[in-house]
Amino acid sequence: MLSQDELARYDRQIMIPEIGLPGQERLKKSRVFIAGAGGLGSPVSLYLAAAGVGTLVIADYDRVDITNLNRQILHWSKDVGAKKVESAREKIESLNANTKVEIIDETINDDNILGLTNGCDVIIDAMDNIAARFVLNRAAIKRGIPFIHGAVSGMEGRVTTIIPGETACIGCMYRDYTKPGKFPVLGVTPGVIGIIQATEVIKYLTGMGRLLTNRLLIYDGMDLRFREFKLSRNPECMECNTGKG
Amino acid sequence: MGISVHLHRVFQKYCGNLETIEAKGSTVQECLRNILILYPELEKAIFFAEGKLHPLIEVYVNSSSAYPDALKKEVNDGDKIHIIHTLAGG
Ligand SMILES: [Zn+2]
Repeated sequence: MLSQDELARYDRQIMIPEIGLPGQERLKKSRVFIAGAGGLGSPVSLYLAAAGVGTLVIADYDRVDITNLNRQILHWSKDVGAKKVESAREKIESLNANTKVEIIDETINDDNILGLTNGCDVIIDAMDNIAARFVLNRAAIKRGIPFIHGAVSGMEGRVTTIIPGETACIGCMYRDYTKPGKFPVLGVTPGVIGIIQATEVIKYLTGMGRLLTNRLLIYDGMDLRFREFKLSRNPECMECNTGKG
Repeated sequence: MGISVHLHRVFQKYCGNLETIEAKGSTVQECLRNILILYPELEKAIFFAEGKLHPLIEVYVNSSSAYPDALKKEVNDGDKIHIIHTLAGG
């Protein structure tokens, strides 16, 4: 049940016929895993909290550095040196105390990810490397829950929604290849991509619209253009064709 | 009419700042080899080792992913090949 405060807070989105009260209640009951509290994790978590998602599980082992502040809008000048997950929880709770924030201050890997995503309805990719995306992808496949892939660099970004067993997965798209290091990025780029990821999560949780499945949406901020490429499952994918899926 | 190869911005500096290059060939590999004759500088940007695409290069034919055997993908006159690169930041 939604409180009077919640009914007022979410009034404008409850007005969307595809959301309505049932959709809003579903958001409240939902538990979303956000892997990373950085450039993508910031807009994703703020918008999901603003929309009334009941529980956000946020994982990040890092501390806030001054070089994060051009894009990681969860973290402010006063937070430099603090744990990102703690800084994130503070902002999210002051935006919307109805959203519970569970924080995980550790690196995700194949050994801990299944435990960490327990009870989650969806996993969001807000990581900064391909190897970690393979870890999350495997967890989503094992759990049979969607994985919203997003990535950015410079003025460019990409998003696709992965539904295990139905759509192309990370292994159907990429080789597990680690390119180390620091990447250039303007803060608005993960802003654009993170908000698209949050849109997909809300659509999935409320059952509205058409998801970005088997479609890789590419954002080019330089030309201000979106392009879409078709993806398909690779029958020989080592990630999504073993056992389940 | 040949195959039009659309190159991501980062590769255009190796190809006279062209965004699109017309190529001939019956596979993606043949089209790329064909382009490399004119623009040899492009080779090190898209190939990792001889005959193998760099793992961060993505190929789309007529807007569909050509992964995983992109080089062997067959193409016909009028087809469009897009060469872009993977993004991994977050
Ligand atoms: Zn797969």
